[in-house]
Amino acid sequence: MSGLTKFKKMIICFLICSNCLLLSGCWDRVELNDLALVTGLGIDKKGKNTMLTVQLVVPKQLGGGMAMGGSNTKGGGATIIRTGTGAVMADAIRDLQEKIPRRLFWGHVKAVVFSEKVAKEGIRPYIDFLSRNPQMRLRSNMFICKGSAKNVLELSPPIEQSSAEVMRELSELQFLFRVTVKDALQMLAGSTQTAAIPLVQILPAQKGMSDLQTIAFIQRTAIFKKDRMIGSVNDKMSRGLLWIRNEVEQANITVSLKGAKGTITAAIIKMHTKLIPEYKNGKWKMIVKITSEDDVISNATNLSLYNKKHIHLAQKALADETANRIYAALHKVQKMKADVVGFGEAFHRKYPRQWNQVKDRWEDIFPNVEVTIKAKVNFRRPGMNTIPQGIPPEEVKK
Amino acid sequence: MRFFKKSRNGVTGNHQNGTTRNNEQELYIAQQNAQPYVLSFNLEENIETLQSVYENCVDVVFRSFQVAGTTNAVLVYIDGLVNVEELDLVVLPSLMRPLSSITDFDIHQLLSQTLTVSKVSKTQLMSECIESISSGKAVLLINRYNHAFSLGVGKWEKRSIDEPVGEAGIKGPREGFIESLGTNLALVRRKVKSPNLKTKAIKIGTYTQTEVVVCYIEGLAHPALIQEVEERLHRIKIDGILDVGYIEELIEDNPYSPFPQMLNTERPDVVAASLLEGRFAILQDGTPFALVAPISFYSLLQSHEDYYERSLISTVIRWVRYLFLLISLFLPSLYVALLTFHQEMVPTTLLLTMAASRELIPFPALVEALMMEVVFEALREAGVRLPKQAGAAVSIVGALVIGQAAVQAGIVSAPMIMVVSLTGIASFTVPRYATGIAIRMLRFPMILLAGSLGLLGVMLGLLLILIHMATLRSFGVPYLSPMAPMQGQDMKDVLVRAPLWKLNTRPQLPGIDNLTRQGSDQKPSPENKDQ
Amino acid sequence: MIEKGKISAMQMALMMYPAIIATAILLVPAITAHHAGQDMWLSPIWASFSGFLAVYITLRLHHYYPQKTAIEYSEQIAGKFFGKIIGFVFLFFYLHADGIVVREYGEFIVGNFLMRTPPIFVMGTMVFICALAVRGGVEVIGRLAEMIVPVVTLVILIFVILLIPDMDATNMLPIMEKGIIPSIKGAVTPQSWFSEFFLMAFFLPYLANGENGKKWGIISVLAVFLTLFIINITVLFVLGGITANFVYPVMSAVRYISIADFLEHLEAFVMAVWVGGTFLKITVFYYVVALGTAQWLNLPDYRMLVFPLGFLLLVFSEWIAPSLMELSHLLATTVPFYLSSIQIVLPLILLLIAKFRNRNRMKDGQK
Repeated sequence: MSGLTKFKKMIICFLICSNCLLLSGCWDRVELNDLALVTGLGIDKKGKNTMLTVQLVVPKQLGGGMAMGGSNTKGGGATIIRTGTGAVMADAIRDLQEKIPRRLFWGHVKAVVFSEKVAKEGIRPYIDFLSRNPQMRLRSNMFICKGSAKNVLELSPPIEQSSAEVMRELSELQFLFRVTVKDALQMLAGSTQTAAIPLVQILPAQKGMSDLQTIAFIQRTAIFKKDRMIGSVNDKMSRGLLWIRNEVEQANITVSLKGAKGTITAAIIKMHTKLIPEYKNGKWKMIVKITSEDDVISNATNLSLYNKKHIHLAQKALADETANRIYAALHKVQKMKADVVGFGEAFHRKYPRQWNQVKDRWEDIFPNVEVTIKAKVNFRRPGMNTIPQGIPPEEVKK
Repeated sequence: MRFFKKSRNGVTGNHQNGTTRNNEQELYIAQQNAQPYVLSFNLEENIETLQSVYENCVDVVFRSFQVAGTTNAVLVYIDGLVNVEELDLVVLPSLMRPLSSITDFDIHQLLSQTLTVSKVSKTQLMSECIESISSGKAVLLINRYNHAFSLGVGKWEKRSIDEPVGEAGIKGPREGFIESLGTNLALVRRKVKSPNLKTKAIKIGTYTQTEVVVCYIEGLAHPALIQEVEERLHRIKIDGILDVGYIEELIEDNPYSPFPQMLNTERPDVVAASLLEGRFAILQDGTPFALVAPISFYSLLQSHEDYYERSLISTVIRWVRYLFLLISLFLPSLYVALLTFHQEMVPTTLLLTMAASRELIPFPALVEALMMEVVFEALREAGVRLPKQAGAAVSIVGALVIGQAAVQAGIVSAPMIMVVSLTGIASFTVPRYATGIAIRMLRFPMILLAGSLGLLGVMLGLLLILIHMATLRSFGVPYLSPMAPMQGQDMKDVLVRAPLWKLNTRPQLPGIDNLTRQGSDQKPSPENKDQ
Repeated sequence: MIEKGKISAMQMALMMYPAIIATAILLVPAITAHHAGQDMWLSPIWASFSGFLAVYITLRLHHYYPQKTAIEYSEQIAGKFFGKIIGFVFLFFYLHADGIVVREYGEFIVGNFLMRTPPIFVMGTMVFICALAVRGGVEVIGRLAEMIVPVVTLVILIFVILLIPDMDATNMLPIMEKGIIPSIKGAVTPQSWFSEFFLMAFFLPYLANGENGKKWGIISVLAVFLTLFIINITVLFVLGGITANFVYPVMSAVRYISIADFLEHLEAFVMAVWVGGTFLKITVFYYVVALGTAQWLNLPDYRMLVFPLGFLLLVFSEWIAPSLMELSHLLATTVPFYLSSIQIVLPLILLLIAKFRNRNRMKDGQK
């Protein structure tokens, strides 16, 4: 008897469950075919309104239609651009969605591009939206662009899938700044409320190619204070800033040595920067200690680097050059009164009390911080050559 | 019809008598009344009774002759179940030879001096005679004597010992059980020669009278466990059993579970190994399969070869198996969940590839997955049932039509085909076929859950399965042991396959204290050699 | 005894672990970060004292009444009438607390993953599944804990390891900028989670190896402490100053994982595993309520109570708060005192009375 009731119970349970499943079927399920995959997001200003540009990847079957279908499909496909305008970002998205038959999907946004104009007016409302939406990636890379963001996203690069992908790959190389949405949030919420975000520019198209067949590349670094862009520094200086921020992944430094023709170029294998803040009698001092390990990648001088003396010479020259670059970059940002190098944080950590007193005036103190740079370079390996190649051995200074 | 009714009466009558169960089954034949039918001194009468029992049975032979040329006797047997040759050459000549010295016929002398048959038993009950005849013995009835002799001259056609088809292997013994219980028992006995190997027989099935034997090793298997299984076997009241599957379904702990709670095997070495671990085995006449219990889920994922292969390799293979078990349960549902709920988790390029292949597919991913999984099941089923010659056709049609053509026509997407095939292959890595089927069937609700709640649904499904498995027991042994409840010692045979010289203790089945399998100094090393 | 099953001390520890962790990694890190800032990694240290205290009280009480659960011995300690009242307070409290857990679960799932699915459906399915587990009894829950907890722990570990490239240890500096106070303030909410170790009072009577209860109780507190510590430090290192700005900092950190541009957005996977932990948490609370109610009403079995209580649980979860903001506010303000007053102060009072009574009895015995 009990077996029968148990069986009945199971059937009832099963029916209820299957009903529930069928009912729930349409709440959150979205077929892949109903999604518009956004890879790039551009934010422009159009008058008072926000103009949103999305770069969508259209998964197209490139082959000859149905008959050849399956075997000829190719991943990727063309990208298209759609824009929407609205008073705020959410409005713009709604406007955008009206023009796209598929649901916008933000889970694959690789790059978020702000036009310079937007950046100068403040990016806070936008990045709040970006971090609030659960679909959006905190890891999307952020860029500022000269001109309109739409133009940047419109490009169809000859290499890589989309211009957004190009920008992401470029920033992943970390020659220059690499800033994700999370980084930007952190920087803007940090104690100095400044941020540095890479600035991209459109590369002129190759001859014989259409104007759109090119890419945008990272050229400068935009400096933000509060959430507004106040200026930018060029690539060399950006690298100087990276040195202080301990974010250099790869860099080459070329120096010419005294008493020798030609130059030596070294590539950085490993580097470490240490900020040592000092506060004495109301004076703010900062010692930047940089140690790096380099490989020689080109030696156009006639000096053999198997000689200790020459090595010392070259290392010294490289260290000086590094320091000079950093000084130059530092001057620039100090002039801008924007502490994008993290001095404020360093002082905050070491001298919390004193820092809290000047927290609100840091802008004014930062330009006057006395900076000493102690750079040290060590060669590790000479590359594949022992002595300089291409000249007769007797001319090499051993 | 009349027969049937009588048998019912017999059964109920017997209940009141409270005699043993064996009688209860016999009684339907001994019909007339509830009293056991005793042989009479009159041969004619006995034969008449037997003939009425075996009415309309052409294969029952009644051979009358005279013992020692003096006394009338009848030999009753079923043609095909006994060795006629032996009857002809041994039994009949020795019985018919005229006695020279003694004039009076003496039944005991006949037994001790004349009858050259080793298996002889004496009975006074008609029911036992019938049972003997039915089970392939020749029954000798002699006039003026109220006892019958059943002569063990049974011999029937049987398959020779073959490689077990369902449990093939590369290493290890190649003999498998056959349909003869005696042979099977002998196979086990040949592996475990200790007299502690006990075999208890019981007959099940009112019509089939199938002999079922419980094997265990005394001192290793817990007596309460054996008592429990015997009780469960005695509880079976069924007209017939044709395979151990019948027994399994009638004595398992949870009949509603999709998971097998007993191990089906046709390998004597698996049975022997299980016996040595303190488990029992149920062998049945007429099937090459044996049941082993109590088991846990993990023993269903172990193959005999794990122990014949090097321990390191077995460990790796075991983990591959675990991985593919998970794949066979989760892959299609994960695919559906990722495709319809968590598109952000898929790397962009991969997502684009999938999107491109799905662009023209008319079905939602959920339907596509269900459809293809059903098709796969159909292919598998067709492959199993079909004769070998047609099997090739099925596989070709399956591969070409359902694989390639469907993708080319844009009816299913290529990634889905891959997912389904991978799942299919994964489910075959489970060494026990029954477990593989259970997992494959559970895949369908999982896909439905994934299609309605995404990964959350998959997780909820998994939780449901886990709850069910945590509640399951196989003859008192928790199904998930030794993982849950944790038995640290036994993990050496679950997470890894420890070297044999490390497997010093038996699995901790409930109530067993004799856990030591061997000394702890079994590790081979040069020092050990000297000792 | 209503419950005939026996569990091992380790199983109990494994049940307690997710019963604390599961929701302690949702909203709590943000609340901690809000108060403690970069010292949020210190807060679990202070908070764990509450756990040790709860374990101590529970063990002492268990020592006096070894075969009884909290519902049963409160009657013996405080007398029939007051004991029933205290028992009711416990039961109501655990039902309510479980309601909070279910709600947190529902909010988390609906807010992050299934935005258009009705929360009641999400919570309902979970409560249903938990009910099935509760019906299985304490042994089944113990076994489930043994199966699930290792996986949950492993996934937490993996997620910490995957985040190592994104960690910045300087985020924790300056240590104790404003003294020790902020980190203690930050510990107020997590300590109430630690007070949930009083749940052990309902499992200790069913231990097969009771002598290990103390050892495993302490191990369990340590494990919870260590996990919270590691998680807080991970979140702090990854998100730094903006930790408090996220509703679910741990989830936001998980979302940030990226390995070789391939493994990204793993939050759904982590969520799925986390659901296993939450399932255990809800189940443990649920079981305590079901068992306690049966004991309170002197019923022979608790199984028939399970489904009705589940319905009640669902209703409670709806009643807790009108919105996530309110829920978060509740957790940051009222709940810490609510939880610890019932799970630490009340048992402490019980313990004192029990001690007093026992001493009297001892004296009586001497006389």
